[in-house]
Amino acid sequence: MIRLENVTKIYSTDVTALRDASFDVAKAEFVFLVGPSGSGKSTLLRLMNRQERPEKGAVWVAGRNINEMPDSKVPHLRRNIGNIFQDYKLLANKTVFENVAFALEVIGRPRHVIRQQVPAVLDLVGLGGKQDRLPHQLSGGEQQRVSIARAFVNRPLILLADEPTGNLDPATGEGIMRLLDRINKTGTTVVMATHDQRIVNMMRKRVIQLDRGVIVRDQARGVYE
Amino acid sequence: MISRIRYVFREMWASLSRNKTLTFASVITAAVSLFMAGMGFLVQRGFDNQLSEWSGGVEMIVYVEHGHVDGDPEVELIRQELESLDTVVESVVYCDEECATKEANVLFAGDPDTLEQLMPKIPSNFKVKPIDKDSGEVLRSLGDSFSQLPNVIDVQTPDEAVETLGQLRGIIGVWVFGLSILLLLVSVVLIWNTIRTAMFARRREIEVMKLVGATNWFIRLPFMLEGLLQGLVGGFTGGLLMLVTNNSWTDAVRGFDPDSGLAAMVVTDGYPITVWVGMMLFGGLVGAVGSLLAASRFLDV
Repeated sequence: MIRLENVTKIYSTDVTALRDASFDVAKAEFVFLVGPSGSGKSTLLRLMNRQERPEKGAVWVAGRNINEMPDSKVPHLRRNIGNIFQDYKLLANKTVFENVAFALEVIGRPRHVIRQQVPAVLDLVGLGGKQDRLPHQLSGGEQQRVSIARAFVNRPLILLADEPTGNLDPATGEGIMRLLDRINKTGTTVVMATHDQRIVNMMRKRVIQLDRGVIVRDQARGVYE
Repeated sequence: MISRIRYVFREMWASLSRNKTLTFASVITAAVSLFMAGMGFLVQRGFDNQLSEWSGGVEMIVYVEHGHVDGDPEVELIRQELESLDTVVESVVYCDEECATKEANVLFAGDPDTLEQLMPKIPSNFKVKPIDKDSGEVLRSLGDSFSQLPNVIDVQTPDEAVETLGQLRGIIGVWVFGLSILLLLVSVVLIWNTIRTAMFARRREIEVMKLVGATNWFIRLPFMLEGLLQGLVGGFTGGLLMLVTNNSWTDAVRGFDPDSGLAAMVVTDGYPITVWVGMMLFGGLVGAVGSLLAASRFLDV
């Protein structure tokens, strides 16, 4: 589903965010990217949805080299990739329903499809009765569930999650991980950047460890070291 | 498709209502600059009307007694006399009574009483163009002798006032044009700034839109429509102001003394409406282009 071939990303002459990174992620796989702040986890995620382009190497997503993809095709690529963020990136003036519907609306889905899919995905993430609330009326965990619903409503092939539990207490974080695990079991590939040791050890999924832009460990059913 | 159109208009309206003060400033600036440009066109047209008899380098007009038409021996005699001065005269053009009536309608547009008195007996005329400016002076000196020809009722040459008007037209034209361009630039910058402010306020939304797969055009469109609407409303308001000003001026000229010499300095045909439509289209174009440029800044996600 995702392949990185000798990828190097340099932000400026003295900042190399990634150096010669290579790995494959299979369909429906769940992968943790771990490492300290500044190790290159977020850069890897940004390379996978073409927010960034590498200086060297190639990034393949769903069989296409996305570095060579023309800009006009990038929106279509992103419709197959859901993004989840530490700070949720919800729109404060829109309700839960509108935040999730927004993802379908801006890619031109008809109204009847939106009316059908949004309540279904809100039920899936456990926010069935809260569709008319505004983000500030929800807890942090609930806001992250809205963010997950928005990322998943279009049934993407891949979910990229950047520290999704970073702002949550341990119990709420576990709930979010159970939700991501359920989504992963539907066949969606999940790549999650985190430095939450407890969660990585609890999930026992594949772990790719980064240190100053270099992959230092790639372990199936790994733990946080 | 319908949901996209609904979305675009809803977002455009939301953005306009969020940015009321800046929107108002942009519209007013666009209106004032387009008003100036429109007035410039009308002033030019007024001068053109005032100088219409003398356009194209005509230096002498020979008026023929009413009732004679092209081909009459009397008319042909005058034509032969004028054309015989081939060392001085470049061309002689006959303006029959129908043509002269049209001219009178323009020249006395601001003095309907005089026009009414003239109407039944509008004389046809010959317009004489000299080979060059020097021969024009020779021609004018011959004016008296032409007035002695049979069936010629009057011979006119441009006086100093006409020449001054011609120069004034050029000067005013340049200044009004320059000022309009300057004001239009100001309104482009203001519309650009309004759209950028609107986009900055919604940068988070734009980032989310890009990440869920919205195309740049889909994101730009509401902002472009917002700019287009600001330009259109600016053009509409400026044009309305121009029409009101033009009507007031025309009414004022009709109240002037008939000898004021300003009877033709009015625009009473459909030209102001054409200018108004042009102002709205140009305002819309300027607004759309300004917002397109501004919108591109926040799409690099």
